[in-house]
Amino acid sequence: MSRQQTPTRSDARSGAGFDRPPTLTKAMSNAPGGPVDRNARGWYPKVAGLVWVLPALVVLAVFVYLPLVQNLGFSTQEWDIYSGATEFVGLENYEKLVGDPVFWTALGNNVLYAVLSIVFQVFAALVLAALIESLRSLRWRKALRAIYFVPAAISLTVAGLLFYFIYEPNLGLLNHLLEAIGLGQLAQPWLGQESTAMLAIIAMSQWQGFGYSTLLFAVAIQRIPSELYEAAALDGIGHVRRFFHITLPLVREMTGLMIIVTISGAFQVFNEVMVMTSGGPNNSTQVLATWLYRSGFVRNDFGYAAAIATVIFVVTLLIALAQLWYTRRRRVEF
Amino acid sequence: MRRTRTLTLAAAAAGALVLSGCAGGAPAGPAADVTAEPAYEGTLSILTKFAGEPLEPYFEDLAAAYEAEHPDVDVELIQETDQSIKDKTKTLTASQALPDIYFTWTGDWAENFVTGGLAADLSEVIAPGTEWGDTFGEASLSAFQYDGKYYGIPLYNNGKFMGYNTQAFAEAGVDVPQTFEELVDACGPLRDAGYEPIAFGNKDGWPALHYLQQLFAYNVPSDVLHADFDPETAKWDDPGYVSSLEQFKTLVDECTDTGSGTNGVLYTTAQEALAGGNAAMYYQEVLEFDSITAEGSSLSPDDFGIFQLPAPDGAAGDPAAIEGAPEGYLINAKSAQAPLAVDFMKFVTELENAKTLSAPPYGQPSAVVGAVTEETSSRAVYEGITKVNEASQLVGWLDTVTVPEVADAWLAGGEAIISGSATPKEVLESVQAANADAQ
Repeated sequence: MSRQQTPTRSDARSGAGFDRPPTLTKAMSNAPGGPVDRNARGWYPKVAGLVWVLPALVVLAVFVYLPLVQNLGFSTQEWDIYSGATEFVGLENYEKLVGDPVFWTALGNNVLYAVLSIVFQVFAALVLAALIESLRSLRWRKALRAIYFVPAAISLTVAGLLFYFIYEPNLGLLNHLLEAIGLGQLAQPWLGQESTAMLAIIAMSQWQGFGYSTLLFAVAIQRIPSELYEAAALDGIGHVRRFFHITLPLVREMTGLMIIVTISGAFQVFNEVMVMTSGGPNNSTQVLATWLYRSGFVRNDFGYAAAIATVIFVVTLLIALAQLWYTRRRRVEF
Repeated sequence: MRRTRTLTLAAAAAGALVLSGCAGGAPAGPAADVTAEPAYEGTLSILTKFAGEPLEPYFEDLAAAYEAEHPDVDVELIQETDQSIKDKTKTLTASQALPDIYFTWTGDWAENFVTGGLAADLSEVIAPGTEWGDTFGEASLSAFQYDGKYYGIPLYNNGKFMGYNTQAFAEAGVDVPQTFEELVDACGPLRDAGYEPIAFGNKDGWPALHYLQQLFAYNVPSDVLHADFDPETAKWDDPGYVSSLEQFKTLVDECTDTGSGTNGVLYTTAQEALAGGNAAMYYQEVLEFDSITAEGSSLSPDDFGIFQLPAPDGAAGDPAAIEGAPEGYLINAKSAQAPLAVDFMKFVTELENAKTLSAPPYGQPSAVVGAVTEETSSRAVYEGITKVNEASQLVGWLDTVTVPEVADAWLAGGEAIISGSATPKEVLESVQAANADAQ
């Protein structure tokens, strides 16, 4: 009985074992040993390829890179949107950033958001996914995955509004619930005071994003060969050790990716803060994106807003680079 | 290394200069000739603040009527809410896409468009003494006057009053308070009668500014207050500001059920509390009166009364001043349809249309003389506008009479006072710092 050969990664690179890709040019379809078209190795394929990707490049340049460069330009200017007049101020807007206490509050809130998101949306979600995937009943596994995923299907704006009313001090569900279970002394104006407002927003955000992370981890866990768990079980290894010695190492690629995506997302938070507090009270829930918005659209300081945008860009760029580096370096293969 | 860094910075700076050359530039000279005969053709765009019920149909009906009268004219309406119009206007301004006619507040808000060359000088058609100008109250026109020129078309007047449930007052056995101290004293009996004395929601920050500005008018001498609105002359150090902040804190703590958590309550929730019969008072604009007592509310027009926020005993400012200002429209100075825009706004402010605007369900007291009468408007709107007309002066909204940086500092300060995270002195220091930045 002949064994069917499966293509390997190196085969994929050479093309062996795979269908030949569609022919792009006449030159590329020349049979081996036939007359060699010099254009096949020269400028023609390069130009043809460039023509194919040119529309995408133009769109990318106009809608992504040009605004980025323009933003950098705006951040060095004072811009009066009414008269259209601009004045070059060099790095003044960046100096102003350093001395602006609200900027540091906003940055601190983004960091807090990132840290708590990693705790809940990465580590807690991984534990939950492992628990769900360890269930014997397929029906329960499917049901729980769906239940946890539902909040992720709700838009952030809607979820923000929903939680705004849950947190409402007089009519809100949360305070009523606390009173109903005898914990009325813990009732708070959750979004109305500096000490609890940011945490209340982050809590909503975790509720909304937790199920999505759990689902991604569940998919990663499903890829782990079941033989590994079976062998460990035969050796008498318990659930906790199996989690730490099999699950955790073999989903490290997804874990790394999730950490990076979560941090990156934490620095782009906007909707939930705008809906729930607009950055208040007393700027205590400002994050970089809402402070950018407020600086530009409320305070008319568009140059300063552009400087904040540059900071967000730099932070997210560094995170994106880290993501690229990490995903290339730490491949898990079974 | 240092050389490389310097070169990089120099390159960045050069790039920025090139970009600034592309993006900047002085505005083109005003193109609008507002006195020309309109050509009744083409599209006329207008940005209003009347999105949502019950106001939305007002401009829709007017646009349809105007189009019926002039079949070759297409009126394009962009209707926004009180909250969203701020962003919409600034986005359109920044992208040089302002419509032919656009909504404006008075004060610093309108002045930005005037100094930026974006508002047409309407003096020749609307100044007092002109045919159209004489149809408006002079004070309403003056609210949009800058450097002796008239730029705005006032649509309606507005002022801030304490609206109250007369039944609740009767049940609690309290009379309309004559002083700020009496107002605070009335809160106990009203709470005992089962009502939240004053419903207040400050999630958006500006409702606190409305209290503060009225208290400033009472506690700060008028000349000092008006000097403080301009960053160049402002000091923001009058003791009246500290008194006002202290009075405001007392009112929040003593008279609202939400107290230091008021920043977590929407102003519409507070509005509902009065309309639903749960609260005894709610501080509101004349524009809101007819909504509070609209069909479906527990509060009937007969049970709804208003009074001016009472002044504190012995306050150093003007106890007869009322916070408020007209709101209106500007015509884009660069609009090719400026004569048509003027014609459309003349149509909007015809007496019959002005009466419709002043009557329920709209309840927006028109700035046109003779539009707000006991017959056309609700009792509360008529009473409110009468008080506005009798006021010694109208003091504009704090967030539109000051520059944005200062207004924003007051907004954060108001929130901090409510939550108790800053003292009046600390708030004043942050305002002074914002003013220094704005200079």
